[in-house]
Amino acid sequence: MSAISNNNIAHAIYLASKDKSHTEHALLPRKVVEFLARRRLLSKAPDILSRLNKIINEEEGKLVAKVFSKEVLNENTKREIINSLSKRYGGKNIILEESLNDKLVGGFKIEIGDEVIDLTIKNRIKKLQEYLTRNYEH
Amino acid sequence: MSTNHIVENLKKEIENFSAQIKVEKVGKVLEVFDGIAKISGLSDIKSSEMVTFPNGETGVALNLEEDVVGVIIFGDFSKIKEGDEVKATGKILEIPVADSILGRVVNAIGVPVDGKGALKATKTYPIEKVAPGVVTRLSVSEPVATGIKVIDAIIPVGRGQRELIIGDRQTGKTALAIDAILNQKGQNMICVYVSIGQKDSKLRKIEARLEEGGAMAYTVIVSAGASEAASLAYIAPYTGVSIAEYFMDQGKDVLIIYDDLSKHAVAYREISLLLRRPPGREAYPGDVFYLHSRLLERACRRNEKYGGGSITAFPIIETQAGDISAYIPTNVISITDGQIFLETDLFYKGIRPAVNVGSSVSRVGSSAQIKAMKKVAGTLKLDLAQFRELEAFSQFGSDLDDATKKQLERGKRAVEVLKQLQYAPVKTEHQVVTLYALVKGYMDDVAIEKIKEFEQGLTEYSDHNAKMFYKQITEKKMWDDKGEEELNKVIKEFKNTFK
Repeated sequence: MSAISNNNIAHAIYLASKDKSHTEHALLPRKVVEFLARRRLLSKAPDILSRLNKIINEEEGKLVAKVFSKEVLNENTKREIINSLSKRYGGKNIILEESLNDKLVGGFKIEIGDEVIDLTIKNRIKKLQEYLTRNYEH
Repeated sequence: MSTNHIVENLKKEIENFSAQIKVEKVGKVLEVFDGIAKISGLSDIKSSEMVTFPNGETGVALNLEEDVVGVIIFGDFSKIKEGDEVKATGKILEIPVADSILGRVVNAIGVPVDGKGALKATKTYPIEKVAPGVVTRLSVSEPVATGIKVIDAIIPVGRGQRELIIGDRQTGKTALAIDAILNQKGQNMICVYVSIGQKDSKLRKIEARLEEGGAMAYTVIVSAGASEAASLAYIAPYTGVSIAEYFMDQGKDVLIIYDDLSKHAVAYREISLLLRRPPGREAYPGDVFYLHSRLLERACRRNEKYGGGSITAFPIIETQAGDISAYIPTNVISITDGQIFLETDLFYKGIRPAVNVGSSVSRVGSSAQIKAMKKVAGTLKLDLAQFRELEAFSQFGSDLDDATKKQLERGKRAVEVLKQLQYAPVKTEHQVVTLYALVKGYMDDVAIEKIKEFEQGLTEYSDHNAKMFYKQITEKKMWDDKGEEELNKVIKEFKNTFK
């Protein structure tokens, strides 16, 4: 049998918390911490937590999209992003997590899981550079 | 070109350019060490799919685990940092191919390294391909003329065959292969020389030698030097055979040399251990047999219906202290259709090429030998076998009967005739004449020291005087009674003038 991965633990925690009453829920964090301490897994807690987060999002039909841009996006753009993403990912509930990055020059970049849609000016300049060097190499 | 013109051109190009928006699969580098990167993400990646790193390096996914992907990096991994974004390309590793690759030296990913500029490639070939199936194949029936007497006569190789060259260091394995390439001039053969883990100085020497012999015109060198990453040494033979397949697909015959597969196995062992795959015998991973069998299985001869063409492979294996029963040598011996076994003892005795005729075999080549050669070689093989047996006996006693003495003398002359200088391939017709003279006993009364001189004189003399015989060999691959009569007459004439 293979070793228990962090993913397995996260899944177990999720199943343990599912369909439980309010009082049981209140006790859960304590139990989880005790379990992790007993199994000496506390150092892996951040990873387990992020995996748990992913599992919960998936089960509840939520999809976290990280948006990187140079400036704060206006409401219209955000709405459009959410609309097109929920179309692409089969009507899932899209949650935008915004962060700012000065190096992008302009435009924005969306990360969903391990997929990236790069619409920044920086990326376009890079593509143009590749295109021009490829055509002028010979 | 004026500055204005350049600017104008650039402007036009920029106007034509349109950046396509596409969803990219990316992962993040978790750790990098010794040419290996562990990457998170990349959930839909395929096995041996190409990935690109932000500094332009490429890699290939080998280990697909639950949430990490083990990638081997081609080239410089020192600039790859933790957290770097890695993009999946969706393509299985492929190399650029074109007819203009002939005469070039390329590295394991098909990029020229000879300083003669970029390769204008129109096509790409995947480096891993399933070998041609049974229905597309044809049995070996056409010879590869290596120009080396002992090989062409006793261990003949046919087009589409896989013949292993095996021996200790410094026994002339590479020399044999290079001679074979040099002799392919005008034989309608493309050659690919794959250098795996060799010293760059050695490769340079080989290239210069091929250039000098006019052999680079039909040769491609794939180089993964000793200073390059193990990942490049690992894929170099597959790159080589893909280039060979490109030419085979045009119906051409290709000769490919893997120099050498022991280093290839070592490179693969390094990668496997770094990827934490379980080690097996001699710490090689479990699939080291498959590593070589899938490579050598791609050597084949295809039938006309499937485009014809062939790939003949000469893998080279270096043994340690003549131990051919080690792991990798036995593996490759069992995969190939025969082996040419080179021995240190013979080499120092002055028998060069140092081929041990007793333990060398060619399992399919004899059907590819031309009839004339088969005729003379049959007797030669017998002569040599008897000589080897008698040689051991004759060391004890001096009282030998005439028949035995005669056989011993014949054997000594046979060994002498089969000696050959490096870079001096002999034409098939000349081989037939020399061996004919030997097996018919014309050399029995020539002093051993004079055998080489006799051989040279005879081939020169017969060139001018036995034209009918030569014509029969080139056209019909066999002599008839008239031709034989002429040759006998010519040899006798020459013998009278030779002292």
